[in-house]
Amino acid sequence: MLKTKVGVKTKNNYKKGVNNMLWKDKYELGVPLIDTQHKELFRRVESFMQVLRAEDNWDEKIPQLNETLEFMKRYVVEHFRAEEEYQQSINYPGYEAHKEVHNGMVDYVKEVSKQYENSNYDEQLMQQFGGRLLAWLINHVAAEDQRIADYALKKGVNGND
Amino acid sequence: MIDKLYKTFVDATQNVFSLMLNLSEISDHPLESFECEDVLEVAIGFVGDLDGEVIYRFPISTSLNMVEIMSGMQFEQVDAFVTSAISEISNIISGNVLNALSSSDLQCNILTPVLLKPYENSEDKEYDLKTHTCINTSIGELCIEIRLNRIG
Ligand SMILES: [Fe+2]
Repeated sequence: MLKTKVGVKTKNNYKKGVNNMLWKDKYELGVPLIDTQHKELFRRVESFMQVLRAEDNWDEKIPQLNETLEFMKRYVVEHFRAEEEYQQSINYPGYEAHKEVHNGMVDYVKEVSKQYENSNYDEQLMQQFGGRLLAWLINHVAAEDQRIADYALKKGVNGND
Repeated sequence: MIDKLYKTFVDATQNVFSLMLNLSEISDHPLESFECEDVLEVAIGFVGDLDGEVIYRFPISTSLNMVEIMSGMQFEQVDAFVTSAISEISNIISGNVLNALSSSDLQCNILTPVLLKPYENSEDKEYDLKTHTCINTSIGELCIEIRLNRIG
């Protein structure tokens, strides 16, 4: 698995090498396939936030931020697709609704990226995006994805095989 | 109806705080009005069987504490990141309320959160369902003002 380390100066006390502070064990669903991807997703979002929130001058951060952003955006799409395939494989009844939630987020990410580029990399836009993404992701994984796991475990199809 | 609605909002807040912030101990008390100097106000419009708006008021210190818990990072002031995260949480609490309402056969939708300037929205319209709640948590309090009309 890819480990991302972001060597930026930050006033926030990150211990070197610990780069999954955002992840909490209680988010684990007990579905190994999804748990692995969720941990990776949180790692990517955390890397993005470390650059976003570093105290360095904004213009200096732009190249690294854009790189991290692109990386994370790709991973979000990849993960959503994999999670949707998993839902289909277990005949998850909430598949359509969940897919709509995912699509809503992907559309938002695309829209913000477009605005961000058009604005010539405006900081406010990215800070706004970061705040919403963080809260959205925590709720999505802690609440909405949990329902997939509840169903899978009830059915005894937790993807361990 | 109003008592039930009040409880629905308190329960939704409790649920979201417990899941997202790991804060399970909260208490609530009804309120006539909410006096706090530095406050972040997020209005969420409701349309459907209940129509109007709900205003979430987060004191600055509560807002910063919430974002610090979610991010594991330090935040010293309210910036675009903080207002956006808090708006999303207001949106999520309201979404939980919608789910609870739909199971008691009230169909509503919510609009995109709007950040208000402090006490911008103080006009006193009449609402069928008008109440305030103050919620206390270990990281500070918040206030929810419900101003809704029952349609149909
Ligand atoms: Fe999901």
